[in-house]
Amino acid sequence: MSDIHQGQAHVQDAQTERLREVWKNPVGWRRFSEVNNSVIGHWYTATAFAFLIFAGGLALLMRAQLAVPDNDLVTAQLYNQLFTMHGTAMMFLFAVPVFEGVAILILPAMLGARDLPFPRLSAFGYWSFLIGGVFVCGSIFFNAAPTGGWFMYPPLTTDTRQSGIGADIWLLGLSFIEVSSIAAAVELIVGVLKFRAPGMNINLTPLYAWYVLVVAGMILFAFPPLIVGDYLMELQRAFDWPFFDPKRGGDPLLWQHLFWIFGHPEVYIIFLPSIALLAMIVPTFAQRPIVGYSWIVLSALGTGFLSFGLWVHHMFTTGLPSLSLGFFSAASEAVAIPTGAQIFVFIATLALGKVVSSTPLLFAAGALAIFVFGGLTGVMLALAPFDFQAHDTYFVVAHLHYTLFGGMIFPLLAGVYYYYPFATGQKLSDHAGRVAFWLMFVGFNATFLPMHFTGLRGMPRRVFTYPADVGWDWFNFISSIGAFVFAVGFSVVLIDVLRPKKQRPDADGNPWNAGTLEWLAQRDESFGMRTIPIIRHRYPIWYQKNFVQDVREGRFYLPDAEDGRRESLVTSVLDAEPEQCARIPGPTFLTLFAAIFLGATFIFATYHWWISTLASAFLTLATVLSWLWTGTGEIPEKQFRDIGLQRRVPLYRSGPASTGWWAMFITMTGDLTAFLSLMFCYFFYWTIHTDFPPGADGRNGTYWLAGSACLVILAWASTLLARRLNTAGYPAGVRSALYAGVALGILGVLAMLAGPWFSKMDPTANVYPATVWAIVIWVAVHTSVGVIMQAYCIARAYAGRLTARYDMEIWNVTLYWHFACFSAVVALATLVAFPNLT
Amino acid sequence: MTRETETGHNLWRMLAPLTIWALHFLACYVAAAILCAKYPQITDLAPLRHLIFLVTFLAVAAVAYIGFSTLRIWRHSLDGDLDYDHDTPEERHRFLAHVTLMLCALSVIGILYVAIPAAIIGSCR
Repeated sequence: MSDIHQGQAHVQDAQTERLREVWKNPVGWRRFSEVNNSVIGHWYTATAFAFLIFAGGLALLMRAQLAVPDNDLVTAQLYNQLFTMHGTAMMFLFAVPVFEGVAILILPAMLGARDLPFPRLSAFGYWSFLIGGVFVCGSIFFNAAPTGGWFMYPPLTTDTRQSGIGADIWLLGLSFIEVSSIAAAVELIVGVLKFRAPGMNINLTPLYAWYVLVVAGMILFAFPPLIVGDYLMELQRAFDWPFFDPKRGGDPLLWQHLFWIFGHPEVYIIFLPSIALLAMIVPTFAQRPIVGYSWIVLSALGTGFLSFGLWVHHMFTTGLPSLSLGFFSAASEAVAIPTGAQIFVFIATLALGKVVSSTPLLFAAGALAIFVFGGLTGVMLALAPFDFQAHDTYFVVAHLHYTLFGGMIFPLLAGVYYYYPFATGQKLSDHAGRVAFWLMFVGFNATFLPMHFTGLRGMPRRVFTYPADVGWDWFNFISSIGAFVFAVGFSVVLIDVLRPKKQRPDADGNPWNAGTLEWLAQRDESFGMRTIPIIRHRYPIWYQKNFVQDVREGRFYLPDAEDGRRESLVTSVLDAEPEQCARIPGPTFLTLFAAIFLGATFIFATYHWWISTLASAFLTLATVLSWLWTGTGEIPEKQFRDIGLQRRVPLYRSGPASTGWWAMFITMTGDLTAFLSLMFCYFFYWTIHTDFPPGADGRNGTYWLAGSACLVILAWASTLLARRLNTAGYPAGVRSALYAGVALGILGVLAMLAGPWFSKMDPTANVYPATVWAIVIWVAVHTSVGVIMQAYCIARAYAGRLTARYDMEIWNVTLYWHFACFSAVVALATLVAFPNLT
Repeated sequence: MTRETETGHNLWRMLAPLTIWALHFLACYVAAAILCAKYPQITDLAPLRHLIFLVTFLAVAAVAYIGFSTLRIWRHSLDGDLDYDHDTPEERHRFLAHVTLMLCALSVIGILYVAIPAAIIGSCR
């Protein structure tokens, strides 16, 4: 397509038609093979809201139970299930997934991309989330829901007689959902860094994308410690390995550390993306650019980092040294600085702009008021002496709901009203929105404000009833009424969202007169962006001349799909220079199958049906391999693609220049965090015990382990050699090196398992052998995955799909091996050397 | 004179001050946790506190170094104005330098905050 013709009417129509054909959504039962971000984003968001309604219903049951003293509406056992499932579903099935869903839905349009880099990964994440969520929530209908509170403290939850199957459902169901969160994090980080429209330098990136970047990065460091905690707790529940059993050297506090290293950043993981919506909404209704763009970036980054230094403030009453408490108290106060900065930025933007009153802005204002109040009680609770008094009372319940409603629900509802026209082409009712807001605002405060007082009067959390004469009854009664008022308000929103609507907002699809790129996307068209624009300003619709028209008429990059492929542009990280034309995969059922098999693996493991578990794990592996084989590393039919405006970019990149390499790097960063959390457990036990590692017994099997470390290093070196030989063009050498790598890797795995096996370490006897086994199994599984990857490369080489020019696979596998080898060496060196040092 | 694309201040440098905060935080926490858990009979925490002060000094010095070198970059920017709303590598460079500078300030506050308990709490209890 020559540039001279770009923009003529008949040419434009033909281009649009080709784009439509390529991006056509599958219909009928094939819809389940959908991967397009706009559809997956809708499903994701809608499913998250369905879980919100479920978890909200549980809350209403609790409030009905607590409305009057000595009530017997529900039993104590059911009440335990209610509060556990309420917290669990709200946190894991609503708050985090809704961030992922909304980001998948709006981020590509905001960045000027046609889709995210790995749409199939998004679809896989969605199916994992749906299956895991239904499994976990469904348990309550069989009286099998977890009962240990949303943070699952042992020893209550490791006692299989007291906690039943519910705790297993929690552990395995949520581990499965964590997979989908990490998948989304990988997708979103690569999306923000590499899929921005040309010219959108990092200083022009929409603030929402900045927040997404920070939050996705936080997921990589926050979720892995919990995965390790789940791993250890399930080993204890299923096989009686005593990680949290003090009688055999375990320690329940370790779980609290692992849980809250996840749990506190989690609070910010759900708060920041919602505040990010305000950063898009406030400038639109102030009709001016945000004041202090760089302050928001500072705030997001500062909060993201500091939030990792707060976890012990959930453990102030566990008897840790007061000096340690001081460190966490100080960091908890420090995080108020960046958190506050963004609030002032929003206020300043509104103060300097010409404010247009609207429903989204009303929700935004309510959010700020509530959040500030919750933040203030947070500053109180961050002071250890105050926390000693208020710990585990309703004061904490009040505080956390103020921050989460102010920081999460109200901004999100502002986002629902704001982005509804973007997502559906229709506007929600302003009138109903205002009614809903006031019902919810009043209902919310009526529910949670009295809880401060019930808490200060000593009412503990998680009690299913209370006596009449202790001064808690009126406060509880008001709270219960407030909860139902809030529910009525939310129903108004729900009805408004679901009711059939006819009217269209206006012709150009930008009903709020917003300035950011996403309002250009054509929602009727599944390709989204008609052409990938050149960005010169943060608010291009406001400040770039003829911008909307130029985009709609296809005057920028990739206005056509003449190769019959779904395409988008890959650009450089800092300055968004076009680097590659990415071919984006289309619909497939493989992602659905992979999620079903992986889900089955976790679900069968819950019931200890080990053969079915192994069979499902094998099917998952087979599905993932066929997904990789058919869907990735495609060799294009030509080297370069003409993207319009006289530019040509390559169609294939590998190594650090490719998005796949970055995805591997990011995934492995998360994996490394999990590994380091596991090693933290080893050293945690060392600090609390004088006989960990236990003298001479700790030195058994060290020759096997030392030998294994050498073998793994050699396997890594073979992989690296294979990559070098491949670049140098010796295909036979590549295959030989990979064969050697496979053999060395297998021997390394066998040797590392032989260490504890031949020294007859009994993992149920004491926490030391249990920890050694847990670490060895972890490393063995990672090394085995590395061996499968090497074998995959051998197969690709024989199939002629791994060559000196097309070498993406060997680069990514080598990168994996860098991490795997590092983990193995650190783990084995610790197991070998540490018992000799102490 | 224009800046080459992808040169100058980058995202890794922007993250450096907060990374120093994190390392300082970990060092203080780990040192105190090990000492208090392994040697609960110790009453005099003076060596630990001195260690924390030393680590704090080093951390603040490192952040200050980044801060002052960033300040220099920022002052010697090529076109001398304070806005960075345009799609040029130079403005991106200056924007990242500005964020880094503010993160240096935040990190120093965070580091000093964490050192305060060591100044006033003298025992593990």
